[in-house]
Amino acid sequence: MSKKDAYSQAGRTAVLQNIQGTLQFLQRFPPFNQMEQSHLAFLVEQCQLRFYASGESIIKPTDGPVEHFYIVKQGRVVGERQHLVKPGVETTFEITGGECFPLAALLGERATRTEHLAGEDTFCLQLNKAAFIRLFSMSEVFRDFALRGVSSLLDQVNQQVRQRAAENLGTQYSLNTPLGELAMRHPVVCAPDTPLREAVRMMHEQQVGSIVVVDPQRHPLGIFTLRDLRQVVAAADSDLGAPIEQNMTAKPFYLSPQASAFDAAMAMTERHIAHVCLVDNQRLCGVVSERDLFSLQRVDLVHLARTIRHAPRLDSLVQLRGEIGQLVERMLAHGASSTQITQIITLLNDHTVCRVIELAIAERGDPGVPFSWLCFGSEGRREQTLHTDQDNGILFEATDDAEAEAIRARLLPLAQYINQCLAQCGFTLCKGNVMAGNPELCLSRAQWARRFASFVREASPENLLGSSIYFDLRVVWGDEQGCEQLRRQLLEQVADNRIFQRMLADNALRQRPPVGRLREFVLTRQGNDKAATLDLKVQGLTPFVDGARLLALANGIGACNTLERLRQLVDKGVIEALDGAAYEEAYHFIQQTRMQQHQRQTRDNLPYSNRLDPDSLNHLDRRILRESLRQAQRLQSSLALRYQL
Amino acid sequence: MSLFAWLRPAAPPLDDALRQRLAGLPKAKPPGVCSLREQRWVVLDLETSGLNPNRDQVLSIGAVAIEDGAIDFAQQFERTLHRPEQKTNASVLIHGLGPSALAAGCDPAEALLELLEFIGDSPVLAFHAPFDQRMLARALKESLGHRLQLPFLDVAELAPMLNPDTVLREAGLDDWVTHFGLQVDERHHASADAQVTAELALILFSQARRQQLDSPLQLEQRLGGWRRRKAHHHGF
Repeated sequence: MSKKDAYSQAGRTAVLQNIQGTLQFLQRFPPFNQMEQSHLAFLVEQCQLRFYASGESIIKPTDGPVEHFYIVKQGRVVGERQHLVKPGVETTFEITGGECFPLAALLGERATRTEHLAGEDTFCLQLNKAAFIRLFSMSEVFRDFALRGVSSLLDQVNQQVRQRAAENLGTQYSLNTPLGELAMRHPVVCAPDTPLREAVRMMHEQQVGSIVVVDPQRHPLGIFTLRDLRQVVAAADSDLGAPIEQNMTAKPFYLSPQASAFDAAMAMTERHIAHVCLVDNQRLCGVVSERDLFSLQRVDLVHLARTIRHAPRLDSLVQLRGEIGQLVERMLAHGASSTQITQIITLLNDHTVCRVIELAIAERGDPGVPFSWLCFGSEGRREQTLHTDQDNGILFEATDDAEAEAIRARLLPLAQYINQCLAQCGFTLCKGNVMAGNPELCLSRAQWARRFASFVREASPENLLGSSIYFDLRVVWGDEQGCEQLRRQLLEQVADNRIFQRMLADNALRQRPPVGRLREFVLTRQGNDKAATLDLKVQGLTPFVDGARLLALANGIGACNTLERLRQLVDKGVIEALDGAAYEEAYHFIQQTRMQQHQRQTRDNLPYSNRLDPDSLNHLDRRILRESLRQAQRLQSSLALRYQL
Repeated sequence: MSLFAWLRPAAPPLDDALRQRLAGLPKAKPPGVCSLREQRWVVLDLETSGLNPNRDQVLSIGAVAIEDGAIDFAQQFERTLHRPEQKTNASVLIHGLGPSALAAGCDPAEALLELLEFIGDSPVLAFHAPFDQRMLARALKESLGHRLQLPFLDVAELAPMLNPDTVLREAGLDDWVTHFGLQVDERHHASADAQVTAELALILFSQARRQQLDSPLQLEQRLGGWRRRKAHHHGF
């Protein structure tokens, strides 16, 4: 049949009632809802509807190369794969109404690797391979979907997120845009011996805020900005005839033009700079300014960070907290991922904590002993959301316990004051008193080491809970050396202690992801709630966080961030690259869902909650959430296998 | 010639082309011994002007083929018959076929012949099959002078026979549809009803196979026994 015939054929049958009915059914689901009507009609007309009783096999590895494409019309199909090392099977996925299988096997012209069984009485639309191929060549939407599989679904979700947020803001701009596309003008450059007056004249003529000083190969030697000019003018003895190299900032920070707008924003925020050079092959090819980044989108991250860092008083910090919330909303709008946002929140929180400490010292006087401000838990992992508790401590150096006692007595009043100030800035006081003002958490390095060693040696429930908080630690303010020594010791102890690892593994299995074999989600009702819900944090994220922590500690990985831990575990060959990527995607999606919920709650003046009614999600999000939770389940079963639980 | 021949309406005059096509129809076969999956089936649903098989008329026909154990969307039959004389009565509320739809319908003789060609020698399944069988037989007689000989199997009997533990009194199609959780787009449209009856039939075939009934003949024989037991049980 030629393409034209296929169209006319499709046109003719589209009027038939049953074709129409099935068409309408399919149009409720992606990718069918985006396909042309005639292509969809062609698909339906070529279909057969088949029934599978619960438990019946639909396709299995021994059937040979897959001959059909299936769409679940009603019911549920489960994938079961033989365990590699132990007897029995594991359910690897669930497919429900409107979903299709087995795309990878069909496109790869191979047998399926997973047996597909009817999880309950199920009807599937079955399309033969010839028709599948014809559809594949006719419909671009279908082709795109088939080739990209589930990742194309995730793309759609991200698009939706962006669109939804953009509706609130009315702009469309992505933080993932390569910098090369943002630096629209040729950078203004001069040689190092150019007189200052000449350089400023060039800046003025070209209406730019910076000039890059380059060598004959166009390698950047320095940058001179309006801020530098202000200093020149303010200095009494300045000579406008002097060569510019005397006044420039040497060795300017640079990024490749492929780096993203987000990378530049983070660099500016961390380094307090307003210009980033773009260098390709050692040659300057552009300059991106803070204004280039933010005039388009008003996400003034750099400005906010600077304002926090220079806040003159505590009450100005308190006011700035509200702006962080607005910033997060805008970041979501501009396509920032949950990881980018948690990074930004962590960064801004770090700035706030540092400024609070500095202000507290200025107000209460310097205690006269060096100390490091530690943070634990989600803050330690750089995974903070706006909804955050204080989990902090102090580390200092002391020769013995007696000296430690004396230093502690000096530090505690300041620490308690800092805790109170942080509370005013929106960091809720920790109910468990995991705070630097608690004498048990204001310790010398030797005391911390003893405490951590006891966690590893004596695995009581309290100690296990403690390890899940304290072992995700980092320094926010002060010297980082002591903390790193502590971490190295800890990693050695855990690597040697198989029993402790096993206890951690057991602990990591406590929170079961809320997906069931029979139902889509396993939900619980809280108090007088109308709808049954699941907990995105405890049931969704915690399995990933706990699993990644255990594997990282057991394999000598010092990183604290969950995604960073997963990446390093892949690099070390502890987990497979495909699994790592799947865990990362899943973790990402759950976190993103959680943040969107928090933003919604803020907008509606509701208290923050991690409990979600899956029915409040659209079909696509619900489906991906279920798959994401299933990945958490897979991580858990791999732990159970590894530690024989 | 039979004594009462004059009481019957005369056989309708048919043109040669129609007569040839009628003659070319395959001979009806009794239920065979092939497997349920090998057997091609046609699921039929008629919308009629009422429930009296002697007086009411077939208004529209929907039929769905089950081949190789699956409902084949490429084999769908759907016709509304040209019935200009049909007065609007209360049944319009059920089938929704108003006078304009019926006036626009196709020639009954042509449509019925096409149906017979679509069915071929396949056994016919229908819900409350005896009703559809009688309605179709009379329509074939009146429009084509043709005697209906196709074997009919009643899904309304198969369902309770294969599900003895399910107590549904005088169960209609809707009851079984609900019982098996089937999704229906639009009831009381001939095609949609045929479709949902076909889906029901697929479930029933799957059940029959598990009860070691894997041919049309076995199914019919078991049905005979079931009818006798049922009659006995009711004390007839």
